[in-house]
Amino acid sequence: MGLAMVLASPTAIGDVVAVVSAKSGITTLTKTQLADIFLGKASRFPDGTQAVPVDQAEDAPARAEFYLKLAGRSAPQMKAYWSKIIFTGRGQPPQEVRSSAELKKRIAQDPAAIGYIDESLLDDTVRVVR
Amino acid sequence: MSLFVAALWHSADVNAEASTSPDGSDVPMLLFSGFGTLGAVHSSNDRADFTRSFFQPNGAGYTHSWSTDVDSLIAGQVAATFTPQLSAVVQVISEQSYNNTYTPQVEWANIKYQFTPDLSVRVGRTLLPTFFLSDTQNIGYTYAWVRPPAEVYRLLPVDTSDGLDVSYRLHVGDLANTIQANYGHKSTQLTNNGGTAEARGSWGVSDTGEYGALTTRITYQYTNLTLPPLDSFFNAFRQFGAQGVAIADRYNSEHKPNRFFDIGASYDPGDWFVTAEWAYNQNNSFVGQSTAWDVGGGYRIAKFTPYLLFAGAKARPLSDPGLNVSSLPPFLIGPAIGLNAALNSILSTNPVQSTDSIGARWDFAKHFDCKLQLDHIRLGAGSSGTFVNIQPGFRLGGTVDLFSAVVDFVW
Repeated sequence: MGLAMVLASPTAIGDVVAVVSAKSGITTLTKTQLADIFLGKASRFPDGTQAVPVDQAEDAPARAEFYLKLAGRSAPQMKAYWSKIIFTGRGQPPQEVRSSAELKKRIAQDPAAIGYIDESLLDDTVRVVR
Repeated sequence: MSLFVAALWHSADVNAEASTSPDGSDVPMLLFSGFGTLGAVHSSNDRADFTRSFFQPNGAGYTHSWSTDVDSLIAGQVAATFTPQLSAVVQVISEQSYNNTYTPQVEWANIKYQFTPDLSVRVGRTLLPTFFLSDTQNIGYTYAWVRPPAEVYRLLPVDTSDGLDVSYRLHVGDLANTIQANYGHKSTQLTNNGGTAEARGSWGVSDTGEYGALTTRITYQYTNLTLPPLDSFFNAFRQFGAQGVAIADRYNSEHKPNRFFDIGASYDPGDWFVTAEWAYNQNNSFVGQSTAWDVGGGYRIAKFTPYLLFAGAKARPLSDPGLNVSSLPPFLIGPAIGLNAALNSILSTNPVQSTDSIGARWDFAKHFDCKLQLDHIRLGAGSSGTFVNIQPGFRLGGTVDLFSAVVDFVW
């Protein structure tokens, strides 16, 4: 496991996938449902349970890749999007973690949390959401 | 300038950090953030000033060849989350205000209660969602052009409201629809000892739809508007019998109903975008009826966004025959002609204008952008458009060219 993480170069991005805790009941989400949660338009999963989105660090390549695939938006466009929401008092962006390792810890311990991570860094504490 | 430096220093320490206690319940979570713009505008016409907002006393052209007052501003905000339902926000903005100072003003100050994930109520001061970009008009970082088009965004001299609003969000499949209703009042000081504008008993409804890359908004806003009284001016008309009283009643601007309607849409799939808006305002005073529209679009290539923007405004009336002097005794003809001329001068400030703009935005660093824009402005015959501080020699119905350069930032 440790060896896999050393071999995965930080700049090489495989597929970035959405993940939830292994303890979570969520297995699938449509692209729109996933986008609504990460863009602050929905605070619950389709089954009614609470959804807590978690972002990687602002400069993380996984974050740029995730939002480009999910919403077709670059980093400045995402910053502009959240600026509109923050400065009209309509909400706050997702919490941020500092690394992929911290993301897995955060997701694993909270059944309501949902995040995204490079496919090569998956382990059995988190489950992929398709 | 020192305010700007202080804000930058502060932002280095508190870069959108949230603080919370370990159990997350007792201590409010605080989010500090802010935005700003530094800009310079040059106007080709030195017989009048170009300004961005209704509330600015001077700008580019006559007062300054190059003006940094038009677009420069800085704002700071604190958002506190007390419980998952209760939050509050205070936003203070420093920009050129009616008395030519940069005294910070409170733009947002409200408490929000989230009854359900879809229903919330806010009490306090908010920016009304009148135009498509109204509630974010000061945050240059959030749109492509240097500033929202003057033709549209100066149609209604009311932007904030003190009162309450209710917001309800509905999800139907891939469509997210938010309907917002507001009620409130606002008093605003106008420029150059122009007195206070009052909007009382304002209420409005705004509906925003989001479906993939498409966002639409439709708004209706009603207010009882009093623009600074020209009492003594219109009282002079009342001395001229029935025809004078009719003119005074038609054009005075005290406690007049004002009805506003706006529809806008934007389509933004990521690599390119297009936006369009149409607004109508009707007020039974010298302000009259106005229609305004804008259409714009741009393309994103790496960190650059070149764009085009077209806007137009048409207001009525621009003139009035005034008092019929042929029916007056000779000693009153001179004063009547004077009053008629003054009335028509006031009416000529109703804007008829169109602008063609071309520019580009460059996202050169994280949280920063810079923009360059050229505007070619055509004034309608008999109108001074959206220009202020009109000087002798200013040609109604002429053209003006602007060059603007701005840097926007958020933190």
